[in-house]
Order: sequence, then C-alpha cells, then structure tokens
Amino acid sequence: MGPLEHLPVLMVVIFFCGAFLMPLLFRWARPICAPLMVAILAAALVMAIIILQSVYQLGPQLYHLGGWPPPWGIELKVDLLRVYMLLVLFVISLWIFIYALRDLGNELKEELIGWYYTLYALLVGSMAGIALTNDLFNLFVMMEICAITACAIISIKEDRECLEASFKYLILSAMGTGCFLLGVAMLYMATGYLNYDYLHGSLVEAIALYPRNLLLAAALFIVAFGTKAALFPLHVWLPDAHASAPSPSSAMLSGLVIKIYAFALLIVFYEVFPAEMLQGVPLNEIILWLGSLGAMFGSIYAMLQTDLKKMLAFSSIGQIGYIFMGIGFNHEMALIGGLYHVGVHAVTKAMLFMAAGVIIYATGVRKISDMDGIGRNLPLTMAAFAVGSASMIGLPGTGGLISKWYLSLGALEMGRPFFVIIILISSLLNAVYYMPIVINAFLYHGEFQFRVKPVPRVMLATLIFGMIVIIISGVFSRPAVVLLEDAVSRFF
Amino acid sequence: MELLRNIADNYYYMVAVVLFVIGMYTMLTHSNMIKKVIAMNIMDTSVFLLFVSVGYLSGGRAPIVDEGLSAAAYANPLPGALMLTGIVVAVSVTAYALSLVVKIYRYYGTCDYDEITDIRSRE
Amino acid sequence: MTDSTIIVLITLIIVLPIIMTPVIFFASRYSERLRNSLAVITSGLTFALTIALYPAAVQGNVVQQTLFEILPRLELSIRFDILSFCLAAISSFIWFLCTIYSLDYMAKEHACSRYYPVLILALGSCQGIYFAGDFFSLFVFFELMSLIAYILVIHEETEEAMRAGYKYLVMTIIGGLALFFGIIIVFELGGTVSLGVGSIIQETSFLALIAFICFLIGFGMKAGMFPLHVWLPDAHPVAPSPASALLSGVMLKTGAYGLLRVIFHVFSVDLMLSGGWDTILGVLAVITILLGSAVALTQTDIKRRLAYSSISQLGYILLGMSILNDNAITGAVFHIFSHAFMKSILFLAAGAIIWKTGIRKIADMRGIGRQMPVTMGCFSVAALAMIGIPPLNGFLSKWTLSLGALDAGMPFYVLVLLISSLLNALYYLPIIIPAFFDVPGGEDHGTGDQHEIKFNIKEATPGMLSPLVILAICTLVFGLTPNNIVFILSRLTSAFLLLGGAL
Repeated sequence: MGPLEHLPVLMVVIFFCGAFLMPLLFRWARPICAPLMVAILAAALVMAIIILQSVYQLGPQLYHLGGWPPPWGIELKVDLLRVYMLLVLFVISLWIFIYALRDLGNELKEELIGWYYTLYALLVGSMAGIALTNDLFNLFVMMEICAITACAIISIKEDRECLEASFKYLILSAMGTGCFLLGVAMLYMATGYLNYDYLHGSLVEAIALYPRNLLLAAALFIVAFGTKAALFPLHVWLPDAHASAPSPSSAMLSGLVIKIYAFALLIVFYEVFPAEMLQGVPLNEIILWLGSLGAMFGSIYAMLQTDLKKMLAFSSIGQIGYIFMGIGFNHEMALIGGLYHVGVHAVTKAMLFMAAGVIIYATGVRKISDMDGIGRNLPLTMAAFAVGSASMIGLPGTGGLISKWYLSLGALEMGRPFFVIIILISSLLNAVYYMPIVINAFLYHGEFQFRVKPVPRVMLATLIFGMIVIIISGVFSRPAVVLLEDAVSRFF
Repeated sequence: MELLRNIADNYYYMVAVVLFVIGMYTMLTHSNMIKKVIAMNIMDTSVFLLFVSVGYLSGGRAPIVDEGLSAAAYANPLPGALMLTGIVVAVSVTAYALSLVVKIYRYYGTCDYDEITDIRSRE
Repeated sequence: MTDSTIIVLITLIIVLPIIMTPVIFFASRYSERLRNSLAVITSGLTFALTIALYPAAVQGNVVQQTLFEILPRLELSIRFDILSFCLAAISSFIWFLCTIYSLDYMAKEHACSRYYPVLILALGSCQGIYFAGDFFSLFVFFELMSLIAYILVIHEETEEAMRAGYKYLVMTIIGGLALFFGIIIVFELGGTVSLGVGSIIQETSFLALIAFICFLIGFGMKAGMFPLHVWLPDAHPVAPSPASALLSGVMLKTGAYGLLRVIFHVFSVDLMLSGGWDTILGVLAVITILLGSAVALTQTDIKRRLAYSSISQLGYILLGMSILNDNAITGAVFHIFSHAFMKSILFLAAGAIIWKTGIRKIADMRGIGRQMPVTMGCFSVAALAMIGIPPLNGFLSKWTLSLGALDAGMPFYVLVLLISSLLNALYYLPIIIPAFFDVPGGEDHGTGDQHEIKFNIKEATPGMLSPLVILAICTLVFGLTPNNIVFILSRLTSAFLLLGGAL
C-alpha cells in the first residue's frame, strides 16, 4: 500500500493545513492563494477517486488515526457510500470555489478574501471528516468545526442581515450540537463505546437493557441532525442564513452543508442503531412524515417569496425533505433515491444560487418581479436557471427525475402510494414557482429595466459545467445508481 | 419507592438533565443575545457533567497506572479526555458567538433581539 | 426491409429534426431564406423518410431496439410497428404542409427565428413519441413536445396568450406528473415498461386502477378529454394559425396514441372489459363529445369554435377506443387521420382569412367566400366532412365507429354520434352558408361601412393555398371508398392491436 494507505486522513488534513497557510500566504504571497486552494481541492478529488478504485478492488477499508486501534483511537472508514459523498463534496466544492474566485471581490472586502479561503478550506475539510469518521465523538468535533465555519462564511460579509442570520444559525446549531452530545452520552452510558462498529455490536444487546435511553438518544439525534439539516419544523434559521450570505456561501450551504448532516443522520441510523430498534418505535415514520411535510411546506413558503435567494432557500427546505423521505422509507430503492438526490440537489441548488449570484453581480437585482425580461440580457445565466428549475421540477432528462423515480419506486415497494402523491404535488408546486421566473425572463414583452454589467467568463463557464452535470445526471445516471446500489445493499 | 431510589442513586443524571433543559429553554426563549450565549454554555456544561459522571468510579483512583492494581480500580479516563476537547470546542463557539454579538451591538446599539426587530420594522 | 434498415430510418426520423434545430437557429442569423428553406427541407425529408417505411408497415414488421440503459431495467428504446407508422406518417405530412404554409403566414410575424427551430424540434419530439419503444422514452418525448409546444402557444406574447400559455403549462405539468405516477406503478407491478412485452399488467388491482386513471389524466389532458380540456380552447386559438393547426390536428393525437398504447400494451382488452374500465373511458368520451359540440355552438371567435370542435372530435377517437372491437378501433384510428386532415384545413383556412382580412369573428365573415373562394371552398369541404356528409372521410370514420358500436351492442353510442353530427352541422353551416350566399358587410348591419360591397377576389398567396388544396383533396380521396390506403392501414392497425400488439 505504501503512502496510499494514508489517503483517508490526508483528505481531511490537507484542508486543515491549507486553512492555516491561507492567511499567511495572503499577506505575503497573495497571487498563489487561489491556485493553491484549487490545487488542494483538486488533490482531494483525485484522492477520492483513487480511494474509490481501491474500495472497488479491496472492499471497505478502516484507517486508525495515529495507529491507535479502536475502541480507543479514532477510526476513519472508507466504503462506497462515503466515497460517493466525498466525490459529491469535492467536485461541488471545487466547482463553487472556481465560481467564488470572481464573485467574492464583488461581495467582500479585499482583505477578507484570504480569511474566506481559510474558512472555505476548514468547511470542506470538516465535511470530509463528517463523511469519513467512524467515531461519534470525532463526528461531534467535525460537526462543530463545520457549524462555526458555516456561520462564519455568512457573517464574513458583515452587513446587518448576515450577522443576525449567522447568530440565529449559530444558536440553533449549538442547540443541535447540545442535543447530539447528550445523545452520544446516552449511547456511551449504555455501551461504553463511541466507535460505530463497536456501538452497533453492543447495542444489539444493550437494547434489551436500556430501551428508553437508546430511544431518547435516537430522538435527540433526530432533533440534532434535523436542526442542522433544516428538517421541516426545525428549519427556521435556514431562509435568512442562506439568503443573506454571499452567493458562493449560499451555494455551499444549500448545496452541501445541509446534505452532510442528512448524510450523518443516515449513517448513524443505518450503521449504529440496530435494525430491531427502528422496528419497535416508528422513528422512521417520524422522519418520513417530517420529510414529506418539509417537501410540501418548503415549496409552499417558497411560492410566497419575493426575493430570489429567499425563494431558493425555502426551496432547499422542500428538497431536503425528499432526502429525509428517502432515509425514512427504510427501503433500498428509496434510500438510493434519497442519496442520488443528495448529489443532484447539491449540483442543482448550487448552480441556482450561482445563477442568482451572477444576476446580482451583473445587475444588482434581487427581487423576482424585477427580473422580467432579463433572459435577453443574460441568456446563458437564465438558461442555467431554466435547466436548474427543470431538475427541481423533475422533468425528464434531468437528475431530478431519477431521484424522484427511485423515491417513488421505494414508496410503492413499501405499499405507500400516498407518499408518491406527496412527491408529485410538491413537484407541481416547484413548477408553479420556478416556471414563471424562467418564462418572464425570456418571454416578457418589454425591456429589462436595469443596467447590465458584463459577466466574467469564468462564472459563465461554471454555470455551463453545472448544466452539463445536471443533464448527465439525468441521462447517464446508470453508473452512479449502480454504485449506490452496491453502497446501500448491506443495510437491507 | 423504587423510582425515588432510582432518582436518588442517579442524582447526577437528574442534575445534568435539569441543567440541559434550563439551558435549552433560556436559549430558545430569551431575547437577550448575551443570555442566549450563556444559556448555550449551561447546556454544554450539563452534557460535560453527565459525560464525566459516567466515567467516574466512586473511590476509583486517577488513571495513572501503578504496578499491581487492576484496571477496575481506575476511573475511566476516556470521558474526561473527550470532555476536554468538548470544552475547547464550546469555548471557541462562545468566543465566536460573543464576537457576533459585539458586531450586532455596533449596528443597533442593543443586544436584545426584540428591540432589533423593532428597529428593523421601523425602518 | 430488414430490421436494421428500419432502425436506421427511425433513428434518422427522430434525430434529423432535433439536429437541424440548432442549425436552423444559427442559419437564421445569416439569411431568412436559408432558414425557411432549411425548415421546409427538414420537415419534407422527415416526411419522406417516414413514408419510406410504408412497405415495412404493411408487411407487419415489428422492430424493437434498446438504445441504452438509463437506469437498471429502464432504457431508452425505439420501436416500429404499424400504429407508430400511421401516426408518424400523418403527423409528418401535416407538419410538412404547415411548414410550407408558415413561410408566407409567418412573414408578417415577429420572432420567426424562434418559431422555426421550435417548430422543427416539436416535429422531432413528436416523431419520438410515436417511435418510442417503452413508456419511459415515450414520457420523455411527450414532456419535451409539451414544453416546446408552450413556446408555440405563446408566440404572440400578448397578455391573453401568456395567460393561456400559463394554464397550458400548469396542465401539462400536472399531466406529466400523472404520467410519471402511472409509469412508475406499471414499472413496480410489471417490472418493465417496454412496449414489446404485450400486456404488462395481467390482473386488476387497486394500484392498476390508479395507474389507469393516471394515464387517463396524463394522456387525456393532452387529448382534451373532459374534464381536463380546460386549457385547450384557450391555448389553441392564441397560437399562430399553422401552429394551431399542428396543435389541434397533430399534437392532440399524441394523447390518443398514448391511450391506445396503454390500453393494448399495459393492460389488455380482457382486462379493460373485466375491470369495467372501458366504461370509464366511454362515459368520459360521450361527455367530451357532447360538451365540446355544445360549447362550440356558443363561440363567436372562429378559432375558439374550431378548438371546441377539436375537443368533441377527440371524443370520437376516445369513444372508439372504449368500445374495443375491430370496427371501433378501425374507426378510431381512421378518425385520427381524418381529423388531422379536416382540422388542419379548418385552422389553416381560418388562418388565411385572419391573415388576409384580420377577421376573427364569425359574424363578420359574411360573404367572405366570394372574396376568397378557394380558401372558403376548402373550409367548406372540411366542415362538411366534420358534419359527416357521405363522400368525405368524416363520414367514413363515423360510419365505421357506428358499426363498431352496433357490433358491441351499444346503439346508444350511435345516437351520441348522430346528435354530435347534428350539433356539428349547427355550428359549421352558419359559417359556410353566409360566407357564400350573403353579401359582405351584411344587410342587417346598419354600420356595414367598413366592409364595402366588393366582389373582387383577394386570396391568400399560393404558398398558403396549396397546402389547403392538397389537404382538401385528401379529405375527398380518403373518403370516397373504404378501399383507400388510409382506411386499409387503419384496418391493419386495428387487427394488429387486437391481436395483442406485442412483438
């Protein structure tokens, strides 16, 4: 194996090292900062691909941090599921970063950009850590880093809305963390382990001894991850935070940060808790219902918004609902759908926020009603917006359809066609608020009222990349789906 | 009776839970931001207490290994070590939260959420 | 004709228009003539390629080919059988004529460099629907066509058009989601959505019924079936006339085509009969026929009247499908052809009148037959065919449908057909008779100054008249005897479908 053995931890550490270097380099060697960040992100992506190959050849691998074996040491794990998440994470964060290179100058003060890079690296690194870790306490630490940096990439803009929104986010996030830690304490009391695999093993016995403790722990986890991932009744922080942040941050937060918590919930529920426990109490049902309520209400709230970024933020609440539905069905097909939607929605929503960012960059317009006729001035941007909308609605040829297909299939397999109807109604609602924007942008009878600044080519190129990925995910989805099938088959 | 004895035996759990609920309640209901930050700390502390109490062995020694003593004689060092990390994390979150409060205070001249909402609605 | 030749031809038929779309779009930057001729050539070529499949269709060749897998067990595939051929042939024919007609008609309009690419892309997706080898591919092309048709509907970009377009779009998406639900249920129950399997669902169940209803909503919405017809009378009249002709004459048929596929490939005749589902379809068809005809009577705008008439005519096709015997299916398929010919003539003729004179109100059309004899002549032929006057094709389809109804022991349906014919007469004759026998302006109009009494002929251009004349001749030729190509094709299709319709 040689040096390749250390790849799992390198994928996290490289970001943390980069984060430390950035402010220094920004002071003394400013021009190399951005290329270095791109190089780090690209290196992480390459590592993820190498790991994907080795997982295909050798199966899942464990990595003991510092050589300490579990249950004492921290353990990292790579399997297909995590590698999928890592690939999504690195591809999208690299892509958003390239976009951010041009957009940040517009949104931030010049001297803050180096710090933004630091935060960005920490955020990506901590998310990679959340995805990779096999230890609950390590998960807690990574979640805290993620929470602080996620708040900080909002508040770095330093206007009033951003500060308030990030304070609100921080407080609710801290509540989530508190609940999570209490849940961890419950599990630790019952078993004495924090490692996922050991926990899983001893929980099978512990469940008979301490049924209430474990249920409480599960409930606390739902609250904790639900708050952080904006599951329906716990979503109150999201619209302000995602709407007021600089556009690259919005893309990052809506595209990846909320997904990673949903992913962590999935891992905890499927890897740590034994299956018997979930059968006794309808925890799945709770997640399922909250997810479907989110899918409905997120869309309904989104319809009422007048600010473009607010609308996109509320739409995220609806879309995260699908992912939770996928987790809640407890069926292979639905889980594949939910996981596929993690990737699809990450690309789509990131691209929509980038398109919104381009619109704000070029014209300063934020209100939906001011965007009439904008398609003639920014054709490519609005084309990207149209493709993104199509994916949100789930039109054929976009990735949105594939995830809905699998979610619906799972619902039918479980004999619950009712939830298919919920998915369809929510898609219809999506259509009702996305379509008019696209139509008015292109077919409005009149001139666009605002002055339009030329858009840098890099930003347009990132949008084109997004469109291509969305269409590929809708047409050539087979490899990803097969990977996910392999990844989740061990849970069922 | 058994319930009471259970509670008496596990009083430190009860204390932790009571603290947790106090913290959470204050955090969600109080409009003063400083109080929110304090409540956040109370909540975190309650969990630290709980964790540490889990590892404590009454009459157990500090986990400095001596010849001739069985492992059962030591208090579990792991929760303590973990909680050190937890405290560090909590401190940094607190520092960040306080810095945000300072910035917000500069804009509005108040730390009270309700007053801020008032100010914004008047604009 | 070998299978591989057929596959190549089909792929060409679908891909050629789709590839030509951007070419036409970029051509319009250099020259309008180039753009127009490219559009005509593309649609003509598509028609020619489709007709080239005729021998294979008559021989009863059936070809099914998977292109590639989108998901495990879910593929994009193409298929050729006689039903596909019939629909593809008629729609590419009408498309070709409408494109020719557009050349002159659209010369006055704005945004032509958007109109032509969209028209050709819609042709490609429409052919895609007919040659799709499974319901998923069909769904993909169906959605593509529906969304593209939106751009045709709102071409004028007036307030009215935008409102009608929005209604159309929302209905389309509801229909699309219903289809999605139906397809996914079929996939769940049968494990496949391929058209090559025969009846995918073997027995009735609650889910199967839901699937049927979903398909009914999805395809019925497109076909203007009651109660999902509400978008149609708004959307069809506001489009430019050649687009209206295509919307009414051809694109509505995709809904009917989809339902035919659902009835014969997802379910089967026995299943439909044993579940009593044919009754659902029958009742809806009867309501659609009567309602469409009755509301058409009250319309004063000629294009709106034609749109309502389309609703009632699609009702005939649905009625034929609900009866499910040889004659009825033949009638339904033949009526798909007849209605395509007739309604295209009517819309194109109405378009010519609007183009030349700007008149949309039926009351203002008195005496117009003397000014535009050819246009109104064609219009009259089509209107008479609609009513069901014997030597025209409308009569033949009604006759066959009635025979089917009698075979099935349901004379009530014949009564419905007769009543509807009567209503047709009531709303078409008041257009034709005053047009030829009244004086322009009308004697009862005191304020007839704006239409002075003139008998000089001012027809539309030959480019617009020739499609009309060709279509009128078709109406006549394919109605004279049951021994014409179209009727024979319909017979063969019906026999093919009733045999199970699979490979």
